[in-house]
Amino acid sequence: MPQQINADIRAFIVENFLFGDESEIPGDDASLIENDIVDSTGILEMVSFLEEHFSVEVADPEIVPENFDTIARLTAFVAGKSKAKAAAST
Amino acid sequence: MFNRGANCRVFSMSDIRPLEQDDIPAVSEMLQRILRKRRDPAPQGMRDYLRELFLDPPCRADGIHSLVHLREDGKVNGFMGVLPMRFTYRGKTLRSAIGGSFMVDRHEDDPYAGARLLRAFQSGPQDLSLTETANDVSTAMWRRLRGTILTEYSLEWLRILRPAGFMAAIAANAFAPAALTRPLARPFDALLRRRGSPPQWTHVADGEFAQTALVSEDTDTAETVSLIRTFATTFALHPEWSQSELERMVVEAQRKANYGTMVRRKVLSRGGKTVGFFVYYGNKGGIGRVIQVLSLPGHEGSVLDTLLDDATKRGLVALRGRGQPALVNAMLGRRFAFVHASSSIVHAKDRTLLEPFVTGQAFLNGFAGESWTRLLGDRFD
Repeated sequence: MPQQINADIRAFIVENFLFGDESEIPGDDASLIENDIVDSTGILEMVSFLEEHFSVEVADPEIVPENFDTIARLTAFVAGKSKAKAAAST
Repeated sequence: MFNRGANCRVFSMSDIRPLEQDDIPAVSEMLQRILRKRRDPAPQGMRDYLRELFLDPPCRADGIHSLVHLREDGKVNGFMGVLPMRFTYRGKTLRSAIGGSFMVDRHEDDPYAGARLLRAFQSGPQDLSLTETANDVSTAMWRRLRGTILTEYSLEWLRILRPAGFMAAIAANAFAPAALTRPLARPFDALLRRRGSPPQWTHVADGEFAQTALVSEDTDTAETVSLIRTFATTFALHPEWSQSELERMVVEAQRKANYGTMVRRKVLSRGGKTVGFFVYYGNKGGIGRVIQVLSLPGHEGSVLDTLLDDATKRGLVALRGRGQPALVNAMLGRRFAFVHASSSIVHAKDRTLLEPFVTGQAFLNGFAGESWTRLLGDRFD
């Protein structure tokens, strides 16, 4: 599952922040802010994407670099949310 | 807090919480520097007003507060001013929060601050999150959070009355000594107005509204409150102010020193019935700012003509204000120009509540917004 989450997040970033240019996609551990890929508007766009695409709820205190600054962290964040959601529904 | 590696920044926990008394000095300084573009310290009068407006707003609602963003060291570096307001729609009371004065100090250093503030604001207990003062950056952020941009409510209208005077006023706004050119503009405008040409977007001719303008009369505070409440009910969705809430707003709205003298008048039909009402601010030779025009359905055109006639007679060079769908419709053919300066936006958790906004049936902007406050147009020194 994390691989699919990672792929979906990467595809979203390429499509929405890199104008479809896959060659510009950063590494999984590269900062999206420091590489000027997202700004405050982009962060909110990412929040909406995570909520709508992965059906997870993002609480305001969770919108922090620890969860959003790299593709790896985004992937781990969504995977953790999905796992918790699945556990709660069983 | 954790470190991401040798050459990376250190991350730490920031926080968002409701505005408190002790935050007022920091918020005042940010507002003075970021929104009012002033280098001198925030005057005490502004601090007092911010405290009064955001900690003791005219309309109160449990759980709806202004918000501050705190840096890791506990210092305030972001603010969202929130004014609660009740609306009524189809017999149901809706809680709303009007957000404005949205700012983050050095936002490029902390892009999460603005994102979190806006998100925290929208996550409040209100049914409707609203703004009428979103700049381009804020508008883009609202859009990402599925806010609905209300096109007609976001249009800033401008009607030029005296073109040479208008150019002189624009020049004086950018460079104060240019105000000396104002007397030179008057003969040119007088000549143009006497030509009596058909309606032009460039100017108003002498007697242009002689046949269409109605009689208007000044209103006092009590009558203003009564008229606003009465006209508001012509909208399917409208604020539900108490008498004292609206009275406080109307009284505060009297002070907009940067905009000029307040003109507040009701418009009477030829049979003596009140069919409209307007509030604007302006001085002779200046550009007037309209914060509210209200009309009974079907009378928008004559109310606008009365407004323009009044401003022309007082020597104003132009009028500007914010759109309302019914007014925008009546402005067509009356030589108004439209620009976009800031956006009116709504976000509703229940998407069915968006309908009155997108169909122009919502009373929004002016006294159902932020423009009545002294933050827009007043001086505090």
